[in-house]
Amino acid sequence: MRNWILGTAAAALVISAAPAVAEDLTVITAGDQNMVDYVNNYLAPIFEESHPGVHVRAVGTGPGDAGSQKIIERLEAQKKAGKETWDSDVIVVHQKAAGGLVEGDLIARYRDDIDTGKLVTRANADKALGADVKGYVMPMFNSQTALAYNPDLVKTPPQSYAELAAWAKTHPKQFGYNGIKGGMSGVSFVVGWVYAFGQDAAMLENGPFEKSEMDKQADAFKKLKDFNQYVSFTPGNAGTLDMLSRGEIAMGPVWVDMFYSWQANGQLPPNLKLLLPKPGMPGQPMYYAIPAKAPHADLARAFIELATSPKIQAEGIVKKFNWYPGIDADNVKPELDDATWQKLFTDITPEELASRGNAFPIKAYFDGILETYERTVNN
Amino acid sequence: MPPKAPRNFLGLVLIAPALAVVVLLFLIPLCEAVLGAFRTDAGFGLENVSKTYALYSRDIAFTFVIIALSALLIALISVLFSGYLTLGTNARAVALLRWLYRWPLFVPFIVVGQILRTFLAKNGLMNNLIVSTGAVSPMDTIGFLDWRGVVIAFVWKQVPFVTLLLAGAMASLDRGTIEAARNLGASRIRLLLEIVLPQVASTLMVALTLSVVTMMSVLSVPLMLNPHSPTMITVNMAFRINAYGDYGVANVLGLVSFAITGLVAWIYLRATLKENIR
Repeated sequence: MRNWILGTAAAALVISAAPAVAEDLTVITAGDQNMVDYVNNYLAPIFEESHPGVHVRAVGTGPGDAGSQKIIERLEAQKKAGKETWDSDVIVVHQKAAGGLVEGDLIARYRDDIDTGKLVTRANADKALGADVKGYVMPMFNSQTALAYNPDLVKTPPQSYAELAAWAKTHPKQFGYNGIKGGMSGVSFVVGWVYAFGQDAAMLENGPFEKSEMDKQADAFKKLKDFNQYVSFTPGNAGTLDMLSRGEIAMGPVWVDMFYSWQANGQLPPNLKLLLPKPGMPGQPMYYAIPAKAPHADLARAFIELATSPKIQAEGIVKKFNWYPGIDADNVKPELDDATWQKLFTDITPEELASRGNAFPIKAYFDGILETYERTVNN
Repeated sequence: MPPKAPRNFLGLVLIAPALAVVVLLFLIPLCEAVLGAFRTDAGFGLENVSKTYALYSRDIAFTFVIIALSALLIALISVLFSGYLTLGTNARAVALLRWLYRWPLFVPFIVVGQILRTFLAKNGLMNNLIVSTGAVSPMDTIGFLDWRGVVIAFVWKQVPFVTLLLAGAMASLDRGTIEAARNLGASRIRLLLEIVLPQVASTLMVALTLSVVTMMSVLSVPLMLNPHSPTMITVNMAFRINAYGDYGVANVLGLVSFAITGLVAWIYLRATLKENIR
């Protein structure tokens, strides 16, 4: 909060001090307040130093897919209005939004034009939930969901979804998650459940969509409905962490970066740990993209190039904000001290992350899973 | 020529801005929403309606029950509060209540949600206080972060509003009727129920109607206290749009909540019309 105030004050100073010819680079970002903070407090000063006269301005559109949805609607409206230049230079969106942005010609192809474009080889830089987005996006970071648990209360934590289901029955109300309407960590838990008891993750992640495949998930949802009788429901992503820290639940799905940030701030007891259950849980990148009619496309490319450079990825993404890097980890490791690297990979090893860190399903399956949950588990 | 035409014209000019605001910001979006509710991939149809019924009929019933229960509790508590403010004999207690009861009026719903989220949790402030008195062991506490939390939030926030209107109406009553009944030996509760309340019943109706409409539109409280199932219509509307980009079903849910508020608005109009005629 303090940083935020300082940041705002600093930004205000910059505005008043900037020369009249100053150019504004407008960054619109979906996600929590920390995304806006990251751009305003961390990236902006570095970029402005190397680009005198440029002022970076970040605007947040709110957490979750809702935030990305707002960005899509904003660009669509400007496209429909036939505007020559649009009002934003860089956008930061969730994975689910990327496919639609490319299809609607709302963002420009740029990855091959920047030097850092080749530093990322991970599949989710080319495909976003089944949609081809190669060339149009750069991952800002990768975030991952995992199960957080209190080792004092759970001596031998369940290592897989199947073990968890059995554990919950003998420890009623000790596992808590936020359903599917209170944030993505609960959604992620449900998707992982379908991967575990329904179908192979690879099929759901890559498509193509076959309606008949949805029927094969019936059994998984029946199990989930039964499982839900033994769990506590938490109010949101932060709500799960709150309940963990108050000792109301002993285990629950969380975002890894939120978990580490809260622990670093002292909002979570230091003894809590993470694990990634078999067969895996989904995670997702946030993408940098450039609107098709960005007013300062050159500056936007330079900005993203800086933001995805190994040094910034190491300093800002990994060290300051506890995210997994967006570009390939091998490129980032040399820039980091051992302690930071170790911290990020203590509970979940890089091997586990590689084998159990799934993507979310393609949109049709994803929507199908959420709606089936609403229809069968909630009713 | 009678000078009527220019005067009419002037009148139209005067109301034009207000009319334009109503048409542009209310009527057009309303028509858009009504049409949107029936627009499907294959032209106009009832697909969104049947989907709403299949997925959210339980939540609609839940919303109805929660709102009804909250309204009932609000009515009960505010009648007691305003009754005490009007008929109370202990001047100090009346002054204290008068000073205290209005506070929640100035707290936004989202703040109420945030406060109650930590206050009502299983190991939250409320239970910790109860446990520290030794009345309950920490193992036996229960959290109120479900429908009860939502009802508590609504009641806490709306009681002051209804009390404010009701106490005002009661204060403007003819004291003579109250004193007469008192002289004849009526107890205070009887005074309240048989003399005072019947005279302010229409004010109570109006205040409750406005409260229901307010509660129907609150997203933050259910989202922060009870975002799982069953939950309020507003949470589902937000979810339809945010998770699926599906405005169709969200519009149907909007129509459903409009139907509920329409019902109470009708009651409100009847009450005020009667009042005006009288």
